[in-house]
Amino acid sequence: MRLTEKRVGLLFAAFALAFCLVMVRTAWLQTVRGGEYSADARSQQVATVEVPGIRGAILDRRGNALAVSEEAATVFATPYQVVNPPRTAKELATVLDEPEGEVLKALTAQSGFEYVARKTDLVTADRVERLGLDGIGILPDSRRVYPQGHDAGRLIGAVSEEGHGLFGIEQSEDPVLAGTDGEVAITKDALGQEIGRDVVTGAVAGRDVQLTIDGRIQSYAEKVLDEIGEAYTPEGATAIVMDPRDGDVLAMSSWPPVDPADLGEADPDQLTNMATGFTYEPGSTFKAFTVAGALEDGVVKPGTTFDVPPEIQVADRTIGESHPVGYRTLSVADILAQSSNVGTVMIGQQLGERPFGDWVSRFGFGRPTGIDYPAEEMGIVPTPQEYSGSSIGNLPIGQGLSVTPMQMMAGYAAIANGGLLRAPRLIESIDGEPVDRSEGTRVIGSETSAELREMLEGVLGDGGTASEVSVPGYVLAGKTGTAQKVVDGTYSETQYIASFVGFAPADDPRLLAAVIVDDPKGDHYGGSVAAPAFGEIAAFALPYLGIAPGA
Amino acid sequence: MPTIARPQTFDERSAGIGARAGLLKLDPLTALAAVGLIACSIVALGFTTRNEIAGDPFYYTIRQSIYAVVGIALMFALARIDYSRFRELRVGLYSLLIALNLAVLAIGFGAGGARRWIELPFFQFQPSELGKLLLVLALAGFAIDRARRQTEWQRTARLLLLGFMPALIVFVQPSLGTALVYCAVTFAILFVSGTPWQHFAAMGGLAAAAIAIVLVAAPAVGQPVLQGYQLERLTSFLNPSDDPADSSYQTKQSLTAIGSGGKLGRGDDATQAQQGFLPENHNDFIFAATAERWGFAGAALVLSLYALLIWRALRITTLSKNLYGSLVGAGIAAMLLFQVFVNVGMNVGLMPVTGVPLPLMSYGGTSVLVTFMAVGLLQSIYVQSQLSSPGRLRTAQ
Repeated sequence: MRLTEKRVGLLFAAFALAFCLVMVRTAWLQTVRGGEYSADARSQQVATVEVPGIRGAILDRRGNALAVSEEAATVFATPYQVVNPPRTAKELATVLDEPEGEVLKALTAQSGFEYVARKTDLVTADRVERLGLDGIGILPDSRRVYPQGHDAGRLIGAVSEEGHGLFGIEQSEDPVLAGTDGEVAITKDALGQEIGRDVVTGAVAGRDVQLTIDGRIQSYAEKVLDEIGEAYTPEGATAIVMDPRDGDVLAMSSWPPVDPADLGEADPDQLTNMATGFTYEPGSTFKAFTVAGALEDGVVKPGTTFDVPPEIQVADRTIGESHPVGYRTLSVADILAQSSNVGTVMIGQQLGERPFGDWVSRFGFGRPTGIDYPAEEMGIVPTPQEYSGSSIGNLPIGQGLSVTPMQMMAGYAAIANGGLLRAPRLIESIDGEPVDRSEGTRVIGSETSAELREMLEGVLGDGGTASEVSVPGYVLAGKTGTAQKVVDGTYSETQYIASFVGFAPADDPRLLAAVIVDDPKGDHYGGSVAAPAFGEIAAFALPYLGIAPGA
Repeated sequence: MPTIARPQTFDERSAGIGARAGLLKLDPLTALAAVGLIACSIVALGFTTRNEIAGDPFYYTIRQSIYAVVGIALMFALARIDYSRFRELRVGLYSLLIALNLAVLAIGFGAGGARRWIELPFFQFQPSELGKLLLVLALAGFAIDRARRQTEWQRTARLLLLGFMPALIVFVQPSLGTALVYCAVTFAILFVSGTPWQHFAAMGGLAAAAIAIVLVAAPAVGQPVLQGYQLERLTSFLNPSDDPADSSYQTKQSLTAIGSGGKLGRGDDATQAQQGFLPENHNDFIFAATAERWGFAGAALVLSLYALLIWRALRITTLSKNLYGSLVGAGIAAMLLFQVFVNVGMNVGLMPVTGVPLPLMSYGGTSVLVTFMAVGLLQSIYVQSQLSSPGRLRTAQ
């Protein structure tokens, strides 16, 4: 055993040597070189990348998508890792269908992160991934798609590259639509290649917003505006459709249209939703409210007659008719049907300045309608205290005050529905939760409402200002407006706002629509520019909404 | 003396008392080292592999704990058996060693082209691990066979052949690291059994020639012996690289992990092991993971426990009541020493990256069980030495 013990002793010596070697090496690594390796460990960064929570959809009242988000991908470059920029650029440009020069510029930028293509579809991204190019990476992204193209573009609005609402519904409902971004931690090895991916926080999808808009009626309104655009090349135009019974907005279109998916070079002024963002002098369409006030206050009855002169002097102003006429005896109904300026001013005078001012306010002018839409204008309406002597000579005929199309819609809805003024309703539901309807305030009695509806029928009857417009099987009612535009503080002789506000069926209105055309060229009368467009919309929407003819 | 007389067993000597005293007669330091190491392993796995398997943060920890419990039971069982019985079974044990490793080649499976495991219910059995112990037990037995016709040279050649044959089979699986463990065991048994120095000198000469053939001559004639990745691993640790495709990347990451651990460790900020930079953090590189998280304090604790274990193994070798026990003890000591040195050496960048586990620390059922069985055999040698010469009990302490 002596030999064995000697040999084991040698083995022990070998063990002691090995142990010391390993121990000393470990100690050296952890003390002397500890700082250096700590720095190495820190440099192996874990990058945190945001994963967008998919944005909620905007739906129409039937559940059809007006705006939806789909998964997409962003292709980015880490320029210093790109091995052969010209070849990489060539391959990428082919797959991405982008100019090679642009791609090369991104690949050779002096930065650590450069976008190559944002919001590409997943198929393209997958093809890029399969190229296996050094320094090229893919990040999850999402993109906004508008299935109806430019229809309702100016109503819905658009989102930024980062997915934030810029204007319109996309902006006002952004808190609802926006998802909560998640975070993914990407662990990279010393070469920047991904070796692990962990979800830090999950992305939460945004909620859907359903509008009261009917996609089909909206499309039809857009089409009608396109025709107007083509025929009259106006400055702008808007068409609004509403169910007057509950204030639900069925269509709200603005011309020229904007493609929300590609704003491109769009004029910022043309991004507004005209129904709420455009103010104008309403002209004759406003006469209905003058008459409504006079009727409700019992100052006149529909059959009350006036001896109407060709013109009337109010303070320093002389008000005449749009077409030269002689002395006439007109009933209140005739005054509306023929849109007599002098007659309406006489009714206004009979009503009195202060009561007239109260009625303007009661119908909601001079303040926002309360529709749930951003940046609503409220127009300018002088209070009775601000009236000059001639105010009662032009306010009753819709001059000297400005309104928005939506204010006109709300006011006419009260005339059409029996007297209730409501905030127009645009949001049907949020995340499936229905949005309450406004109760409304009574502004006129149902009797006055019925009298007005009958009088407004006359506008489209023989001798009315829109007598050429009809929809077979339905009785229409409405009012034309032809207002001189105020340009640089004076009334223009050449620029007009042609408008028409109307509803049907006249005795039980279920459809209310307004068409307002800003500065049409060639023709400028409400009866000939706007009223036919109203007729077209009514001819489509009435049967579409299941409203039986013959009523 | 053809065979050593069959020793009296535990029960024959002191039935009743021995049965009760059996536990107490174990070497407490050996047991402490082994149990301490497996405890370190479970704690290290618990902290560093939490993010390894999604939804199952304690996958490795729970399994390693089960292996530990079974392993400790096996250790106690083997401690109660007289190891000398295994000498009679040397031919059978050796046949089992060859058969199991051949079976792996036939039906085994593994990762990356290597076949190292046999699938059993609940368990992936790695025969080459068990083979380490089988080789120790069988070769120690063969070493004592001193047939009269044999010369010393013939004996050395025979033992070398017996040791290299399983090493070759394991090498073909391929498991280079395990093959090297077999070689280490063979040399240790040859060494302790008194093989003359000139034989080792001759072996050294042959080894140099073999290395020359493997590394230079064979590739030159288009018959490389080592797989490309094996050769690369054997040399690349000298130049740690940043390229993850390069095998020395593992060395680089391991060094970064250990170095950044500093004196007291990075705790929960141990990013190397927890964020996937450190490969095999539950297995071959668990030492680096431990050193990163608990710093030099943790590394030194683990190394000290190994020092204790190996010192006790060598001490028990000298206490053995017979030569067979000494050779088994020396084989086991060499097996542990070689694996610890190669594995830790690979972690700290002193040795090439070969697939050698860190005994009791690395996650792995077969390795844990076999190491505990080896510790059980050491205990058996210790217990038997105390029983055969109670008078030496004091000197053993």
